[in-house]
Amino acid sequence: MTKYIYGIVLLFIMVGCSNSEEPSKQKAVEGNILPYPINQKKLDNGLNIAVVEYPSPGLAAFQIIVRVGARDEVEKGKTGFAHFFEHMMFRGTDNYSSEEYSATMKSIGAAANANTWLDRTVYHMTGNSKMLGKMFEIESDRFMNLNYSIHDFKTEAGAVKGEYTKNHASPYAMLGEKTVEVAFTQHTYGHTTMGYWDDVVDMPNQYEYSLEFFDRFYRPEYTTILVVGDVKVDEVYQLAQKYFGNWKKGDFKSDIPIEPVQTEMRYAHVEMAGFPPYMELNYKSPAFDESDMDVAALDIISTILFSERSDLYKKLVIDEQKVRFLSGGFFFTRDPYLYQISTSVVKEEDMQYVKEEIDKALELIKTQPVDEVLLSQTKSNLKYSAAMNMDSPSSIAGSLTFYIWLTGNPESLNNIYKSYDKVTPEDIIRAAKKYFVADHLTISTISSKKEGGIK
Amino acid sequence: MKTFKIIILLLAGILVYTSAFSQIKTIELKKEGSNKIVVKVRFNNGSVVDPKGLEGITNLTASLMMEGGTADYTKSQINDMIYPMAAYYYSSTDKEVTTFTFAFPKDYMDEFYPVLKGLLLTPTFSEPDFNRVKSNTLNYLTQVIRASSDEEFSKKALEEMLFAGTPYQHMVAGTENGIESITLDDVKAHYKNYFTNNNVSIGISGDYPESFLSTLINDLKELSDKKVVLPELPDPKMPDGINVRIIEKEEALGSAIFTGYPININRSDDEFAALMIANSWMGEHRKSYSRLYQKIRETRSMNYGDYTYIEWYEQGGGNQLPLSGVPRNNNYFAIWIRPVQIGIQLKEQYPELGHIDIGHAHFAIRMALREIDLLKENGMDPDEFEKTKQFLRSYIKLYIQTPEKELGFLMDSQFYGRQNYIAELDALLENTTLEQVNAAIRKYMQTENMDIVIVTDDSEAKPLAKSLSKNTVSPMSYSNQVKDGLDAEVLAEDKNVEAYPLNIKNVEIISSDAPFVK
Repeated sequence: MTKYIYGIVLLFIMVGCSNSEEPSKQKAVEGNILPYPINQKKLDNGLNIAVVEYPSPGLAAFQIIVRVGARDEVEKGKTGFAHFFEHMMFRGTDNYSSEEYSATMKSIGAAANANTWLDRTVYHMTGNSKMLGKMFEIESDRFMNLNYSIHDFKTEAGAVKGEYTKNHASPYAMLGEKTVEVAFTQHTYGHTTMGYWDDVVDMPNQYEYSLEFFDRFYRPEYTTILVVGDVKVDEVYQLAQKYFGNWKKGDFKSDIPIEPVQTEMRYAHVEMAGFPPYMELNYKSPAFDESDMDVAALDIISTILFSERSDLYKKLVIDEQKVRFLSGGFFFTRDPYLYQISTSVVKEEDMQYVKEEIDKALELIKTQPVDEVLLSQTKSNLKYSAAMNMDSPSSIAGSLTFYIWLTGNPESLNNIYKSYDKVTPEDIIRAAKKYFVADHLTISTISSKKEGGIK
Repeated sequence: MKTFKIIILLLAGILVYTSAFSQIKTIELKKEGSNKIVVKVRFNNGSVVDPKGLEGITNLTASLMMEGGTADYTKSQINDMIYPMAAYYYSSTDKEVTTFTFAFPKDYMDEFYPVLKGLLLTPTFSEPDFNRVKSNTLNYLTQVIRASSDEEFSKKALEEMLFAGTPYQHMVAGTENGIESITLDDVKAHYKNYFTNNNVSIGISGDYPESFLSTLINDLKELSDKKVVLPELPDPKMPDGINVRIIEKEEALGSAIFTGYPININRSDDEFAALMIANSWMGEHRKSYSRLYQKIRETRSMNYGDYTYIEWYEQGGGNQLPLSGVPRNNNYFAIWIRPVQIGIQLKEQYPELGHIDIGHAHFAIRMALREIDLLKENGMDPDEFEKTKQFLRSYIKLYIQTPEKELGFLMDSQFYGRQNYIAELDALLENTTLEQVNAAIRKYMQTENMDIVIVTDDSEAKPLAKSLSKNTVSPMSYSNQVKDGLDAEVLAEDKNVEAYPLNIKNVEIISSDAPFVK
């Protein structure tokens, strides 16, 4: 058993960290899940810079994380705007037209893109680390000097509509839209990042609002620049100061409505014949907080109850073959969101049975202390899963980005894994009792029936 | 080491050799200090060896091997064993190869090895596991592929049309009838016949001891020793003119379009680098700076993106960079036009478009084919040529960011008779001239003959079919909001596009449950 607990400290270092003489460079900290130090510096304007030196010769990942997403879409008729705005960020400045920006990106030879979700918008590229200066230059230009025409704005709205069209072919996307709408009555998590169709169609008319949006959120205090790869910490700091030092701080703060406590079971349903029957149990989950033992305990529960090793998986998927897949877990978000258990059922008529089997497993975890060996193995599983995935600049940057948009601090990655280590069987019982509550549940289904009908 | 034929590649740490006593080709990618070991075991088989009437059996066999137990452990016991180490493994079958990938921490190398060995050498092929995997495959074929993503649907349906009558015709997952017919005995026999020590090769990366690898090589000799005969792959027939297959379905929000025609070139040809430059300029996957993207999405706002391909691209909807494990002898030139709007939808949204009969599909196809013709006519601009070449030389290195990906590309290199495709491609790109690129364009690009699949709404299918088959002028229907700000030259170009002649020979409409049946 000791093997599961010890020896994970310097887990996956490929090449030892060099003894650089850079004054600002951090040392690797024992016990961290990320075996490379995270160097951080805040510029005077509030912009945070995070750098991880990683031995990937000639390669670096460069990401800009803006802590704005669908969560900030508080005004009526503006759903989907954070995502739309992400598109507009590619529409050029006075210095670089959209075409020139594209040509420059091509010259960097990078894989680059952007994406938006509930709490954040991320602009990322991975490419030649020798081009780091150019990456900084071109990104600072659009973040500080974005300037697009009304026509470009209206034109881009068409592409967003195309994206909605492409996504909406999936019944899962339809169900997702309905689920959050039912589960949240006040909070902005009640609409998807894509936004409502009517709002998407109306986007061409929102030019003025787009200027306001940029002015509010594309500010240094909302933003972190993260660089991982074959770079030097001090060089990154210098480039950040040079290109982003003059970026003006803003003062806007979103007033996000608070979601009242849910007091009754809710339902979302998509009627679709000829599609695999599908069911989700969505419980309200806590906001991410690396020091909240409920958060760590719920994550451990997901692995215990729903991984391929779990009793439930063995029963429903392997032995009884009632379901095709089973998964469970919760989304780390800035405000309370959803703990989602999802399953594709072989026969529609078994849905209620499957729901009851999941209920039994949840009931058991609320009442019976988890076996210590299983708990220890689960912690080992979480650590090795994470460490096995951290073998390129993009994957390390991807992991850190997560925590940057959640808390503003990439060290939260190391901290949450320390919290996992401390989870006890009592923590698990407490968290399960607190969050797996029938009145906080939204049941979502896809089936050939008019209504879901699952209790 | 004397008994080995060794080729040491320029790139440090890569070793390719064939073990003299086992004849098993092995690729080693040493990563000192790494605690992650990746083993890839590849069989030269793929869906092309599926016997007639049992389409899908290679993929089903490989899936069942990974989804079941071994002589020593049940599937549940394996799940228990590998849980603390977070090891993972999976199979991937394509047209001509099947690859099993195993990833595990070096700390658990000895504990994991019996699982790896058992899954490959003594898979249990139990009846319940068989029923489960077969049912999931049928579910994919009958429901998921038709209802989840119209883009993936059109891509797979295009292959069925393009490769009709060849071993490439059916999807790797199989056909409905094929999967229905397969029995457990068929699978057991297929395993003996096509997963053998005659068609296997090994790839390994990480900081493993030599003894680990020699044990693996030695153990794999225990696979069946049946001689594998791969089927002849006839050159796919060039379509006669442009043939359009429209798949109609209820409540499709747009028209998803895939076009293609066979090209006789792959990674083994040096000329591939030249064609790659032209293709990248015209339609690099998910890149905003390519020509079609600029014309169709950026300027005209018609959809989410438009790309071209000179080889199979796995899971293009989800991946920004190409995956390994899909090496193929037979390629086709493809244009992927992501869903464009349909008539009924445009009419509902914009009163000024009340008069239109169809959405944007006809115009988009005309625009894409015209761009190909223009490139062929004018050749590539010298400056664009240089920029695209430099872009690719940097970009291809991103394909192999992790040891697992690097190993995958090294194994694919072998398929094409190369040692290290990415390194060799870089050198080829460096030396490619503009003349070579233009020659490759003239040789491989054309718009006279191709197959086109369009998945669209049932309200759009008939009017679109009529418009295509009659070569009706198809003016671009902008909303006033977009039209008002467009440059005169864009509108002038639209005039040229709307009546651009297409060599359409045949247009048919089929229902969405027609493909992938037999």
